[in-house]
Amino acid sequence: MHNLLAFLTKYYHWFIFLLLEVASGVMLFRYNSYQGSVWVSSANAVVGKVYEWQSGLEQYFSLVEQNEALTRRNLILEQQLRLYKEQKADAHEDSVQSLQTMMNHLGSYRFVQAKVVSNSIDRADNLITIDRGTADGVEVDMGVACGTGVVGVVYQTSTHYSIVIPVLNKWSRISCAIRGKGYFGYVTWDGGNPVIAYVDDIPRHAKFKVGDWVETSGYSSIFPKGILIGKILEIADSPDGLSYRLKINLSTDFSRLRDVCVITEKDFADRMRLNEAARDSMALQRSRN
Amino acid sequence: MLFDILRRLMVMVVLCLAQALVLNRIQLFHCATPLLYAYFAIIFPRSYPKWAILVWCFSMGVVIDAFSNTPGVASASLTLMGALQPYLLELFLPRDVDDRVKASANTMGMGNFMSLATIMMLIYCMVFFTVNLFSFFNWLYWLECVVGSALLTLALIFTIETIRK
Repeated sequence: MHNLLAFLTKYYHWFIFLLLEVASGVMLFRYNSYQGSVWVSSANAVVGKVYEWQSGLEQYFSLVEQNEALTRRNLILEQQLRLYKEQKADAHEDSVQSLQTMMNHLGSYRFVQAKVVSNSIDRADNLITIDRGTADGVEVDMGVACGTGVVGVVYQTSTHYSIVIPVLNKWSRISCAIRGKGYFGYVTWDGGNPVIAYVDDIPRHAKFKVGDWVETSGYSSIFPKGILIGKILEIADSPDGLSYRLKINLSTDFSRLRDVCVITEKDFADRMRLNEAARDSMALQRSRN
Repeated sequence: MLFDILRRLMVMVVLCLAQALVLNRIQLFHCATPLLYAYFAIIFPRSYPKWAILVWCFSMGVVIDAFSNTPGVASASLTLMGALQPYLLELFLPRDVDDRVKASANTMGMGNFMSLATIMMLIYCMVFFTVNLFSFFNWLYWLECVVGSALLTLALIFTIETIRK
């Protein structure tokens, strides 16, 4: 007993070492995947705050550049809007009615402005942290977009911050369609170049060409239809030869991402409740069988 | 004692901020990132309580993990550094030095200090990137990360020690 005590007193730091290594191991294996990584990650309130300060400082220095980009974008959009209005007026007698339909369609969505406080593009599992959380109406599985196109899908939320899985994440799957053609597939990223992504599952009989735009399909109800994703660069066969695999140039520049919008549907909460109720009833059905 | 804790806390905050806000963004040739926070584990003085070194290193690792979204990676590697530091320091200390001598270029000489830093950084980068990549499938990339990051960090440590001297 005396020897044991002497041994423990002499080498107790090795026991502390083992204990701390085990604690690190638990963190490594439990939180290093996306699941449950919320508290030792950039969604943590303190870490989030520090990144918010830094991002605020950086934004201040890039205000001139951003203003220029916004003004340019505004001009282009105004021109486009004028063009569409003219076209609509020419095409239909009842143009007021069609404008009304468009506004009604967009009216079912609400946009929550958010700022990116932490962002990475050099890993296979990039994540983005934004400064809006459940307190601002952001929920898991909502879509996130910016002025130049789609950004990603909300993965985890805390009260004031949320983590977004961007298109630049190997786990990201966003339903998309080729603009004006209607063929749909899904966008994936292979972990390499941050401006290149791939569209899979485009059917073999589809007719389209290099340079066509890829946009959100609106099927998943995370994004409304028509948000830009990228432009087709190359068309190739999928590995199984059953469909096309398109290489696209992403329209969003993730390395300069600052201001984003979380897209929330007015009936999002109702829809989630309905989904949950459906899942519960299926689970009940299974347990009875 | 209290002064030591406050001083170390300040060093910890400065290194964490430098790492999270500046150094994590540097990626030379897509692999080499300076891991300057490991400097924190090198500079503990001789006969500093071993358990305290471990706790300091672990805490530093957890904070770095939180900022870099790598839970467990830096804390595991830095705790190992904390365990090895007292033994490696003994190897490079000149004879007849004070029992509470600090690990720095001033007290040990630049050559001895940089040898200690090189061995510790190589061990740290090896463990860090092994745990981070968790496979040797792309061993060449692993080697580039280890050597590149160790060299970059050592250059920074050399600069800091030259200024302190």
